[in-house]
Amino acid sequence: MPLIITPFESNLHHIHTTFFVTHPKTGSKHSFEGIIDTGAPCTEFSDVILVRAGFIRSVDQEIKIKSGLQTQKYGKTILPKVKICGQDLNNFEVFVSKLDESWGIDALIGLDFFKRFRVTIDYKAGHLVTEPL
Amino acid sequence: MKDKITWEEMKKKFPDEWLVVTDFELDKYGKIIDGVVERHSKKKEQVANPPIIDKDTAFRYTGESTFAGLRSHAAHHHSF
Repeated sequence: MPLIITPFESNLHHIHTTFFVTHPKTGSKHSFEGIIDTGAPCTEFSDVILVRAGFIRSVDQEIKIKSGLQTQKYGKTILPKVKICGQDLNNFEVFVSKLDESWGIDALIGLDFFKRFRVTIDYKAGHLVTEPL
Repeated sequence: MKDKITWEEMKKKFPDEWLVVTDFELDKYGKIIDGVVERHSKKKEQVANPPIIDKDTAFRYTGESTFAGLRSHAAHHHSF
């Protein structure tokens, strides 16, 4: 996989990015929106989108976000094929989480993504450069 | 048959809602240019529930994100 340049809107408070998850049975691709979060050690995906993408059957209604928090991790799953910043990741393990709906996003992309690539964030140019190690 | 509409039209027609969009085009930032709205709801879970649409889809929120960062949230809710 080559070096890939992914533009982002540098006028926003955070780096928003879109990513694709491939449905395990149908092969259809589902696009979602996430935030690059260098403060998060692990990537978290909303349980709702994991239902949408066919990885879990339903959300766990018993799990609630604890007071003072905006995410609640409660499981893990392995995504056979996901594309983030144009880079294909196979068997990428992510946390299943409840994310605050008002965030309007579906995932926090954490440092486990950064560990797989050489990542350069160029705010002035408004792009991310990712290159496999 | 549902019509293809632009992202601006989606935001106007379905404010602060979660959408499942098919037959879509994305710009260089991954934002939707246009597409067909298959499902919409104020509740995220309602648009995600089965039956799964056997097509490529884009899942998006038409409102403004309130995400301010986890540290900001922690600082707001806990005294250090």
